[in-house]
Amino acid sequence: YTYSTAARNHLSTEELVVALGSEVGALPKHAVQVIRHVWNEQGKAVSASEDARDMDTVGQFIDISWKLGVAMSSDTCRSLKYPYVTVTLKVAEPSGQITNKSFEMTVPQFKNFSRQFKEMAAVLETV
Amino acid sequence: GQPGVTEELLRGQLYPEAAPEEFRALRAKMGGLLQSIASADMDLNQLEAFLTAQTKKQGGITSDQAAVIAKFWKNHRAKIRESLINQSQWDNVLKNMNWRIDLKAQSRHTDQINTPVAIVEMELSKKGQESEFLCLEFDEAKVNQMLKSLSEIEASVAAL
Repeated sequence: YTYSTAARNHLSTEELVVALGSEVGALPKHAVQVIRHVWNEQGKAVSASEDARDMDTVGQFIDISWKLGVAMSSDTCRSLKYPYVTVTLKVAEPSGQITNKSFEMTVPQFKNFSRQFKEMAAVLETV
Repeated sequence: GQPGVTEELLRGQLYPEAAPEEFRALRAKMGGLLQSIASADMDLNQLEAFLTAQTKKQGGITSDQAAVIAKFWKNHRAKIRESLINQSQWDNVLKNMNWRIDLKAQSRHTDQINTPVAIVEMELSKKGQESEFLCLEFDEAKVNQMLKSLSEIEASVAAL
C-alpha cells in the first residue's frame, strides 16, 4: 500500500521518506533508499495512472513464451535487417479466464523491459 | 516518404531562385535516389559508389547535388530507418511500461501475512488502434520466472 497511498496523496519523494520514517520505524535503511529511488523514478507515472486504473482489472501472470526474429525485407524497404523479440504472456484475467497477450519489442525496447524486471526483483527482495 | 522535409523547405534552402516546376522535377529525381539509398540502407562506401555512378550517368546529378544527398543521408539515416521499421510493425508493440510494488495483506485467521507483489502496467499499441492496457500482478517467484526467460532471450540476442 506504500506506493498506492503515496500516489493517492501525490506525495513528493521527501514527504514519502519522512512518512515512512515516522510510521514504520522498523524499515531497514536500505529498504527506504530503494523505495525512495523507485518512487523517484516511477512515482509520477503511478500517480497519474492510479486514478484511472483500479485493482479489479489486474490479472495474474502465468507464463511467458518468446521468439527472436529478424525482419529482413519489406515492401517499403529492401534491406530492413532489424531484430525484434515477440513475447506471448499467458494471463489469468480477474474473471478466471486464461488468455494470451502478444507483443513485439525492438532490441532496445526489450533491454528496457528486462531492466525494469530486474529493478522489480531488487525491490521485492528488500521489502 | 522522408520525414520532415517538405518540397518548399528544400527549394527555399537550396534553390530559392528556381521555378517551382523545374524544382519539382529535380526533387523527384533526388527523392528517387534517396529512396534507393534508404531501401538498401547504404553504408558510406556503398553510398559513395552509388552517387559517383549517378554523376557519370546521362541526365544524372551534379557533384554538388551528390554532396547534398550524401549529407542528408548521413544526418537522417537513423531517423529514416526508424520510420521504415515502424512501418512494418503491424502487431502489438510495447509502447510504455510502469510498475509499482504493493504490500498485499492476507489474513489467515489470526495471522496476517504481508506479501510484496509487483503490479505492472503495460501499454500495448497496434497501428491505427487505441492502446490496450494490460495490468498484471507478479509475486517474487513470478518475477524470477520472468527473469529466467528474459535472460534466455538476452543470450539469444547476444548470439545474433
